[in-house]
Amino acid sequence: MSWEDYEHDMQRCTRCSYCKYIPWRNIKNFDFYEGCPSAARYHWHAFAAGGKFNLGYSLLKGKIEIDDTFLDVLYKCNMDGSCDIACKVNQDIEPLQHMQELRIKCVEEGQLHPVHMLVIEGLRKQDNMMMADKADRGKWAEGLDVKDLSREKGEVLFHAGCRYSFDQELWPVARAGLSILRKAGVDLGIMAADESCCGGRAYELGYAGELTKYCEHQIEVWRNSDIKTVVTPCADCYACFSVLYDKIGKKPAIEVMHITQYLDKLIREGKLRLKNSLPMKVTYHDPCHLGRLAEPWVHWNGREYKPDGTLLWVHDPPKKYRRGTFGIYDPPRNVLKSIPGLDFVEMFRIREYGWCCGAGGGVIDAFPDFAIWTGSQRLREAKEVGAEAIVSACPWCKRVFMDAAAETGDNIKVLDILELIEQSL
Amino acid sequence: MALTNKEYKALEDIVGQEYITREPVIMESYNQVWGNKLAFGDKRHNPPAAVLLPGTVEEIQEIVRYCNKAGILFKPSARAFEYVATKLSCDRGILLELKRFNRILEIDEKNQHAVVEPFVTVCQLQNEAGRLGFYTGKPGVGYSASIISLACCHQEMTISQLYTSGYGRNVLGAEWVLPTGDILNLGTGGREGGWFSGDGPGFSLRGILRGRAGANGGNGVITKCSVKLYPWYSDSPMDQKMKRESGEALSATRLAAVPDNYRAVVLTFPTTEQMMKAATEIGQSEIACIVAPSYLVTSVGQEGNDEQWAAMQNAPPQDPTKVGRSVPVFVNGHSARELAYREKAVMSVMEKWEGNLDPEYNDPEVLAQMFQYQMWSTGVGGLRGTGDFMVSIQGADGSTDMHLNYRPVEFDAFKPFSERGGIVQPSMGMSYRPMEHFALGSSGGIGTGYDPWDENSLAAAREYMNMVYDSNSPFRRFSYSNRGAMMQVEEIEHVHERWGPIYDNADLWLQKVRNMLDPNRVADWSGYIPPEYDKK
Repeated sequence: MSWEDYEHDMQRCTRCSYCKYIPWRNIKNFDFYEGCPSAARYHWHAFAAGGKFNLGYSLLKGKIEIDDTFLDVLYKCNMDGSCDIACKVNQDIEPLQHMQELRIKCVEEGQLHPVHMLVIEGLRKQDNMMMADKADRGKWAEGLDVKDLSREKGEVLFHAGCRYSFDQELWPVARAGLSILRKAGVDLGIMAADESCCGGRAYELGYAGELTKYCEHQIEVWRNSDIKTVVTPCADCYACFSVLYDKIGKKPAIEVMHITQYLDKLIREGKLRLKNSLPMKVTYHDPCHLGRLAEPWVHWNGREYKPDGTLLWVHDPPKKYRRGTFGIYDPPRNVLKSIPGLDFVEMFRIREYGWCCGAGGGVIDAFPDFAIWTGSQRLREAKEVGAEAIVSACPWCKRVFMDAAAETGDNIKVLDILELIEQSL
Repeated sequence: MALTNKEYKALEDIVGQEYITREPVIMESYNQVWGNKLAFGDKRHNPPAAVLLPGTVEEIQEIVRYCNKAGILFKPSARAFEYVATKLSCDRGILLELKRFNRILEIDEKNQHAVVEPFVTVCQLQNEAGRLGFYTGKPGVGYSASIISLACCHQEMTISQLYTSGYGRNVLGAEWVLPTGDILNLGTGGREGGWFSGDGPGFSLRGILRGRAGANGGNGVITKCSVKLYPWYSDSPMDQKMKRESGEALSATRLAAVPDNYRAVVLTFPTTEQMMKAATEIGQSEIACIVAPSYLVTSVGQEGNDEQWAAMQNAPPQDPTKVGRSVPVFVNGHSARELAYREKAVMSVMEKWEGNLDPEYNDPEVLAQMFQYQMWSTGVGGLRGTGDFMVSIQGADGSTDMHLNYRPVEFDAFKPFSERGGIVQPSMGMSYRPMEHFALGSSGGIGTGYDPWDENSLAAAREYMNMVYDSNSPFRRFSYSNRGAMMQVEEIEHVHERWGPIYDNADLWLQKVRNMLDPNRVADWSGYIPPEYDKK
């Protein structure tokens, strides 16, 4: 569907502002009831998903044009989907898909953000979103003596993703992930320098063609190998492989798992035993791309109609809206709860209505101050529940939390779940 | 006409650059609210010339004084989730969005009242007060509604008013920036003793505050108000146990059970007359916290329209008159003994009027959902169908007998529309909200569904509304005081022109007061009485 196809959704946005907050009935603390970082940070209604429906409608009716303000509003958004979940508690409309299609329109018309242009230029030349040299892609695993599946055979591909591959501060986490799986006896390897971007972040910026390109590349590589399962420690890559590829009609034939799912399975099967006690109070941050945005794509083709005698817009065949229900919420929690001595505490905004770390939607590249602000709000929440550490399962989250902690002088520990597992083994 | 650069700069100097904008793109998000298509023929109305986010009362005063000097229309807005919430009567007008006024300033446990700022929602106060053992009324407009909008700018009348009175009667004090920029403190808000007052601003001042149809910022800016709180005998809503089956969406989240210290039942009677007699008796006995004639939830809510439609198709056929003959009754008690006494009293009234507890309406899960909805207002589910609905007859205030006589007239009036299609009244007739324990009768309401994006439906809705709001319509003989106008479903001049004479020319004195308070006519009148109009 293109952005114009959401006209009926634009019309039905009521301005209830539910998109700005977590669902009202899930609020536990009114210091932490905001759901949309953009609406919370940038004052004006336009920054909320409801405001963007308004902008879309006015654009459709020729009342406004895409200008710098329009782009500013559209791109100061983490595309984290909090709005989508909260809206759909009351409505059957698609705020997130509408914003995605507006971004695609902007790109198609050459209305680009200058920083994103550089990132995409880097992607096209170097196959990564980090503006780094592709030849360095496998360096993070140097010395680990891991199989290179572009040359050798192995059942499980460990796909590190762009952030883990090029953010040296995060290399220990990726290395930990690899080590944990090997200790559990998993026959795995990496693609080293031949690994490439999943294409998901480019798609979120509006570069739909890049998603198709990298999707086709990945699937071709996987098809020509003996790989049976792709395991990734990156939530973005997981959502891209499992949701976006399916969305564009190219669902991978092989199994794709986030590493927390895989570890949960290994622990349940007794193949991974966590022994060391870690007496620490931690909380878990749901990465958006592992949580609500990881909900499987629902394909639907049909018509919208009102049955006679009703005033109810329904679908033929019935359409199952993606309301975030089937994201990956329990496996990472199961893993954390398996660690001896760990005191696990939940924050106020969790699971479907978790607060974003701040990295998504290209914000980390174009508006780093906004990303850090968003991350710092999450650190504040983690501290409010008494956590000594905030634990996530995505390199983008960890990056922003580390930056936010450094910026604000916060002393809360920022960890990935893999670091805890490694310590507990 | 847009603001001049000089004017914009003057306003910017008051609030600071960060808190003012006139970017055309951003203005387009301040002109689209549900109901616009019905009211203005388009989803969009004219955008404001600028939007400001003042941070202090002093800034508001300065803005208002500058508007007087420069001849700029202004309109305050809190949550802006309402017909005409962002509408300005001319292009040379600015919106003051009050999102920086977002604090509960005080919850006075001893005197049972709360002082709030305009951006504080019902949800916020309900939950925070709940943790201290207090309850504020339930609005019919969802949790995101502003307390001050309900209390000072409208006359919100809902089911829980049996227990709490209506929001409009709950104002104890208010800090009011008049259209001249001066501050007027109402009630004991202006006294050194604090905000508590048994009487509040007084009957007539409350009327001036809200006007005939809800002031909507038409008389200045309310920057603080004090509202009454009532006892709450259970956990705060946010601490209640909720229920959601595995695989169910958040939208299906519901209260697991009616809380301890509360009981919910639905009584069904052989006739509507018997139901109303029983409801009145229970209400006047002051033993229940909610008595809601003909206003009930009959099934557990579904997560979306498709699921709802499937449930509707699978539901067994229902007696269409049964809802009209039924009444939900909620009782509470600070002790088990008090609760048992009240429950027993309700049962005895039920028996007296030959009622029964129909199992179809007394399923514990449905009762819990009804309790959640009627005590707390957990959303505006009526908007999911088409994105719109209208309260076609809200506030047909009158005695029980009047309502019983009114009901068949209304039914007949709607019948041709029902047969023609395009608009529906899902509740199969009027439901009633008690007024002062039924001592003043009740307030009737009918939600009417329509689809603004279906031309036939829109036309039918307009035709029906025109009939309802015609003072020569079949409803006229009831001196029908429609407050559907509360949501500006009825055009604002029409509200005053047609209904003013019926109510002792109230429009004339209201207009005089308005013009005295606003000599330069800078407070927007989209939802308040206009400074002048030609009497037809």
